[in-house]
Amino acid sequence: MTDILPLIQAAAETGGSYGTFPVIGSRAAIWITAQVHLMFAAFVLGVPMFAVITELIGIVTRDSKYDKLSKEFTRLLVFAYSATALWGALLLFLLTTLYPSFWIHMAGVFDMSMWIYASLFFVESFTLYLYYYGWDRWKAGRAKWGHWGLGILLNVWGTMVMFIANGWLTYMMSPPEGTTVQGLPEGVRMWNAIANATWMPINIHRLIANAVFGGSIVAAYAAYRFLSAKTDEERAHYDWMGYVGNFIAISTFIVLPFAGYYLGREIYEYNQQMGITMMGGFMSWLWIVQAVLIGVLFLSANYYLWLGMGRIPGAERFMPYTKWMLLVLVVCWIVWGTPHTMIASRQELAAMGGSHHPFLGILGVMSAKNTAVNFMILTTFLSFMMYRRANKLPTVAWAKTGTIIQTAMFVLSSAVVLFYGIYGYFVEAIVRIGFSVYQVAAVLACIVGVTVIDIMMLRRADSRGEIRWGQMPERSQYSLFVLAVTFTWLMGLMGYARSGIRQHWHVWEVMRDTSEFAATPALGYAAKMISVAVLIFLALVAFIFWLGGLAERGASRSQTSGTARA
Amino acid sequence: MWATNIKVVSLTLAVVAFYTTIASIIPQLESEVPEEFDFGSEVTTAALVVAGERVYNGAAGCATCHGLGTRAPNLLTDHGGEGAIGARCGTRDGDCKNYLYEALTEPGTYLIAGFANIMPDMRRQLPEDQIWALVAYLQSVGGEVTVTAADLPQPGDEQREAGATAGQPTFSATLDPQTLLQEKGCLGCHQLDGAGAPIGPPFDGMGARITSDRIRTGILDPNAEIAEGFDQFAGVMPAFFGEQLSAAQLEAIVQFLEDRR
Repeated sequence: MTDILPLIQAAAETGGSYGTFPVIGSRAAIWITAQVHLMFAAFVLGVPMFAVITELIGIVTRDSKYDKLSKEFTRLLVFAYSATALWGALLLFLLTTLYPSFWIHMAGVFDMSMWIYASLFFVESFTLYLYYYGWDRWKAGRAKWGHWGLGILLNVWGTMVMFIANGWLTYMMSPPEGTTVQGLPEGVRMWNAIANATWMPINIHRLIANAVFGGSIVAAYAAYRFLSAKTDEERAHYDWMGYVGNFIAISTFIVLPFAGYYLGREIYEYNQQMGITMMGGFMSWLWIVQAVLIGVLFLSANYYLWLGMGRIPGAERFMPYTKWMLLVLVVCWIVWGTPHTMIASRQELAAMGGSHHPFLGILGVMSAKNTAVNFMILTTFLSFMMYRRANKLPTVAWAKTGTIIQTAMFVLSSAVVLFYGIYGYFVEAIVRIGFSVYQVAAVLACIVGVTVIDIMMLRRADSRGEIRWGQMPERSQYSLFVLAVTFTWLMGLMGYARSGIRQHWHVWEVMRDTSEFAATPALGYAAKMISVAVLIFLALVAFIFWLGGLAERGASRSQTSGTARA
Repeated sequence: MWATNIKVVSLTLAVVAFYTTIASIIPQLESEVPEEFDFGSEVTTAALVVAGERVYNGAAGCATCHGLGTRAPNLLTDHGGEGAIGARCGTRDGDCKNYLYEALTEPGTYLIAGFANIMPDMRRQLPEDQIWALVAYLQSVGGEVTVTAADLPQPGDEQREAGATAGQPTFSATLDPQTLLQEKGCLGCHQLDGAGAPIGPPFDGMGARITSDRIRTGILDPNAEIAEGFDQFAGVMPAFFGEQLSAAQLEAIVQFLEDRR
């Protein structure tokens, strides 16, 4: 006892070390700035992944539209980098002026990594300039591969920058044992503070989330350009771009929950109380909001695909199934959004006749929710498969057998998910938690197995007709906007969850927040902060897109006048 | 073009507004900062119980797990047929007070069968005197409170000296029964004029159902006789009101409830 009290007291010695921010207060100022900075950071990390993949496809397939697409987005990156840096600088100034003691602590622990971070940012920026401005110079032969190598480097630098910053923020959640407000204990190095318990799970989660985010922003950009297109050719190009963006967003999004499980498990491993606070404590209702958002994502993505099948010859044979798939999605969404282990007032307990709702309590448990999520993933994957196969006629001799095997994989996977979902009600909690692994494994195995068979089966397949790019109803494009806004809002919500589980600690159980904003606010307040950040971000992105359009028109005009003079 | 812009902006605002509304209409739970308590050297047991309840529902975050019955044993209600925690704590090693203190500071020592060792050492979150207040509160739920000021850190301890001159929690001197019912949180479990929660027998019509003696006994020793239909909430009502109320206040409440017919 005597050795712990001094630590608690020392941790509390941050009193008087806070600045003030007018009108909205320090917390809101830091919150919004950090969130907008993070959204831009995700944008400038996610879009290069997208650019380098599409450039590679362009090189391999010799299809110039991929190259054009890749360059179009790299141009936007140039503007987005400036915005990221500006918001980052603003965040730094706010931290040093509003939370100086905290910043001194962080600088004391992470000094060298901060210098490396800044240096890498320089290197990353120059790589980007080389990548963009060298596009037309290194556009053929080996030089093109060299150029693509620059794109890879850009991703490498960006990932390193993110990993370093992740080290700082995860240190705040899970500092090494023995850390005090004065710094790291004897024998513990900066590397140990960076590579803390939640570092790698956050790295993986953010890496995937950035790809999702990049894809969704690309899709939204394409949707806007589609809606404002003047020619059929332009409309066809942006229809295709929207599809590619959506495909990347949703296909990477499907694996994101698994990265989330990993992160959650590591949080529980590090500190049970933190895990419980996150899942069942004051944040318990956050997961209901998350379920609402993810339900919207699944519905929008599927809706987009089903509408897209309208422009694919042969897709009509799949259309009757979509209403049943919609039913599955909606039912699963409702189950996922059912509350269960909530902190209830005595009045609520009395009204329910116990701590769980008599009917909804059955649906609100993890067995039901995991089952629902896995069915939503399987249904979305099935939509992709239908979309992909719509206009193809397999020519391999084993096509029928292959399709039967694929169907069997879906059925088996669904059966495994359902079996463990029901069985979970009859076993202890500790056993039930393990069942989610079997469910996830069954779904992943189905996704991988069906995809591999599909790729092999559709080689040299006959076409039932070309996709009529551009002949897409306008409402499909609005679903892409819903996806982008929802992903952005979801990012803000998850940021609140990650940061909020520290509660009144700047650094968990090391440095206490003694400011007037130490209490972690409820979801309503958090939602307002998230919405403000989302709107600022989207407004700035729209401005960047507009700037990109200006640059494009400028280049087009100078090319035209050059041709005229010649 | 402008029509498209307006549609896109409207859709964006609508989606953002939808999520903001959803997040704002669900229950709003804030993570509070641990409350500061200044216990004087003469702090009473009753005051410790009151403070302990605030710690239980606030900084300690006990309700996050205790009460659901899935992550940890219920404390305020029955668990395993042994009653609420105050009633069953003495069965562990014969000394309820020490058992509860050790359960809070070395939670792995008394692991209950069927539950994982997930509880943190509360010394990492709470100062010593608040832990003792928590023990007092838990004892009060169905048992006898034996924690006294002597159990708190003694003079000479930094914490004790810091809090020595500050006032201890005080109780209202009002004789207005409705104010007292409000102040003591009775309406959190009993209904009056239709308001309040139906966890305990309603105050409305109480005078027609039971005698004034039975009302008095129910306040002073709530677990002596459980009202019909409320077995599932046995042990929820704390037994410290006798120490919080003056004789005049107690009689004012008894008279008020007897008149509710």
